[in-house]
Amino acid sequence: MRLWITGIGIVSPLAVGARATMDRLLAGERAFAPLSLFDTAGCRSRVAAEVRDLRVADVAPRGAAAGWSRTDAMAAVAAREALGEAGVTAHDGPLALGVGGTTAGMLETESDLAELWRNPGTWRPTERMLSHPLSATADALASILGPFRRVRTVCSACSSGANALILAAAWLRSGRSERVLAGAADGLCRLTFTGFSALGAMSPEPCRPFDLRRDGLSLGEGAAFALVETEASARARGAEPLCELAGWAARAEAHHITNPEPTGRTAAEVMSAALARAGLAPSQVGYLNAHGTATRLNDSMEAAAIRQAFGPAVAELRVSSSKGQVGHTLGAAGALEAAIAALALRRSAVPPTMGLREVDPECALRHLFVAEPVALDAVMSSSFGFGGSDTALVLCRPGFAPVPAGARAGASPPTPARVLVSAAATVGPEGVLGTVGGAVYLVPVPGSGPAGASAAVPPAPARLAFEARDHLDVERARRVDRTGRLAIAAAARALRDGGLGPLGPEVARGVGAVAGGAFGTIDACCAFVQKFLEKGARFASPAEFPNLVPSSPVAHTSIYAGLGGMVISSHDLAATAESALATAVELLEAGEGAAVLAGSVEEASVAIEDALAPMFAPELPSDVATGRGRRSEGAALLLLETEASLAARGGVGVAEVVASLAWRGTPDAPLSELAAPGPGARAAVVTGRYDALGASMLERSAWRAAPRHEVAPRVGWHEAAGGMALAAAVGALAAGRWDSVLVLGLGRARGYAFVLQARARASAAGPQPEPLTGDAR
Amino acid sequence: MQELREQLKELIVKELNLEGKSPGDIDDDAPLFGAGLGLDSLDALQLAMAVEERFGVPVPEGEAARAVFASVNALAAHVAAARAAAPGA
Repeated sequence: MRLWITGIGIVSPLAVGARATMDRLLAGERAFAPLSLFDTAGCRSRVAAEVRDLRVADVAPRGAAAGWSRTDAMAAVAAREALGEAGVTAHDGPLALGVGGTTAGMLETESDLAELWRNPGTWRPTERMLSHPLSATADALASILGPFRRVRTVCSACSSGANALILAAAWLRSGRSERVLAGAADGLCRLTFTGFSALGAMSPEPCRPFDLRRDGLSLGEGAAFALVETEASARARGAEPLCELAGWAARAEAHHITNPEPTGRTAAEVMSAALARAGLAPSQVGYLNAHGTATRLNDSMEAAAIRQAFGPAVAELRVSSSKGQVGHTLGAAGALEAAIAALALRRSAVPPTMGLREVDPECALRHLFVAEPVALDAVMSSSFGFGGSDTALVLCRPGFAPVPAGARAGASPPTPARVLVSAAATVGPEGVLGTVGGAVYLVPVPGSGPAGASAAVPPAPARLAFEARDHLDVERARRVDRTGRLAIAAAARALRDGGLGPLGPEVARGVGAVAGGAFGTIDACCAFVQKFLEKGARFASPAEFPNLVPSSPVAHTSIYAGLGGMVISSHDLAATAESALATAVELLEAGEGAAVLAGSVEEASVAIEDALAPMFAPELPSDVATGRGRRSEGAALLLLETEASLAARGGVGVAEVVASLAWRGTPDAPLSELAAPGPGARAAVVTGRYDALGASMLERSAWRAAPRHEVAPRVGWHEAAGGMALAAAVGALAAGRWDSVLVLGLGRARGYAFVLQARARASAAGPQPEPLTGDAR
Repeated sequence: MQELREQLKELIVKELNLEGKSPGDIDDDAPLFGAGLGLDSLDALQLAMAVEERFGVPVPEGEAARAVFASVNALAAHVAAARAAAPGA
């Protein structure tokens, strides 16, 4: 199966539109100017590459502009262009949407965050806050370009956009989708500008990638989307390909939260793996659009990685970084730079690295000082994110790459891999619990839920009595905030239960992670913004800044636990845990990785309590005495593995994911495709929160007769409750209580459903599965 | 000077989240970075920011920072000298 890109859209600081942007890139133009969006006093730089002449009100639907961010508007313009060029709409057949990003509506909401942090309890939400969650951009796109069948929001800091394209490839290859609109958008904001300044990573002048005198990055903003579809889908509607998405790979360095691995080992690995995926030799790639941030550490690491991955072919490989022209567009960069690479391929012309005057000998490569015409067969784009999330993409002329092994042209998609659950762990009111322990949350609170009364169980506390030092090495985790520590504790327990512990530097190198929080690490963002607004940008905390990235809990977990697979976060409001599980299942079944920790983590937060929850989950109960919500926190992670991976180390798993559904909007009967539990099967339905909508869906499903359990009264009200429901279901299956469980997760106009089936019960005294890698332990 | 050293040690423990360490564990002369406390470049940035915030004394960047961050003694000497040089200190 070949994957074709049939449309590309770009909003960049150089121009609105892919063609105009590429014209200016090839002309060597730079977009840097003193920033006009906000005051930069106290920062190391005043310049940035800003998207000019963008008015949110011109893009947002009438009456909705107040709840749209600049990021949303850029995304909408780029996405519309991609669809237009491809000649499709969401009404021409099922269309999926994958969006990467990091800041979403931060610019529009950061002053509000500071204010509500300063005066908790008195601040009242405004419509602006609608643009704050990372998933807001996908929701904005759906409102004007939808309906989309499947929608996902992912983050891995500065490789987010590239990973959105990998997710699209996974959906297409497993047959879940035929057409995907995938890309990313990220707008400038005070938080990132101040944060990169505090890190000393920002140049006072327009940046100079790979230059001997480079002294840091320049920030930019923008959006890029691509319409990616199967060759069969495009042919069926007579569409021409712009290029083929032929190869990709994503891995985590598990090294340091801000500094890249000096050797470039993992970066080289993803480049080689992406080439292998495409079936291409290094010498067949004519151009590499580098990450090239112009920081001292990135550029020398990256040059070393390129030399490792390309070997002797590096002499002929043209390399340039677009960041010398459009700046570092952070979450959008992976998509924007892949789009630029694709356009270079189409136009047989390679843009230069502007700002580069004298090449640093450590960065010796075939750099371009001016644009160069050259016929290209294949190109690569690479992206590296905070926490060491490395991704490489390979694009080529249609038909240039060999047909992927095991697939004939026009053949049906490869058979999806079977996905098993080998362990689960929770951090909740009952402490840190392993696989079987999670079932404790199925014991109902008296008077709640449809299952009736039981022994007295205390309600969940707002803040867990979680002491990090009891569960992890706090010296190693000293930079990790509370959210990250909750995630690490759950990850450590799940890995140990799954036979992949104890943790160490080389343990679990083959394991990835997909987990998120509905609102990111929100309290840390509030505190960070409030401090620099009050005391000045000079006093922004460099050590805190990396914790503000939405993917920071998984990034920290990766570093702490040595997870070297694909590490991303997934965000979808009240269904965030379910979105992460769905993403993990979709990646594994498509052959992206062998094992993944999936779930979510949510912290008790003033900002969520006061501002975000009232907007996004007004139906949750509030505390009568204070008039405010009474929300808890927690973390839940499932260890998923492909059947082949688990079998190779002698494990059978505790459950199989036999169905994984995701939908958007309000389809008539989203559960209609689920088969009945089977005659005589002991079956149950488990949800984080059970409501009338869920009840009506279940009534119209083959699972209507199964008993229903709601875990939120036991685990507390928070967006990770769905993860606790998944872990509780796994616990009950592991304990032999049920044969089959349907886990239902619903949020505002979105839903997920999973059917988990028990595996043969392994005897408690039986052999433990072997570690994933030979060098473990 | 002794008081300043103690304040700096408390600042180091607090700002760099050295849980499990107390100010008394930090030797006046031991190197802060690399082999000593095992701190890295991100800690250096955080500490420089915190020293300026707390004592109103900027810490130089780059190579010059190396000498200032050599030890608690060196850092204390830098802060004391900068304060003495500043009018009204």
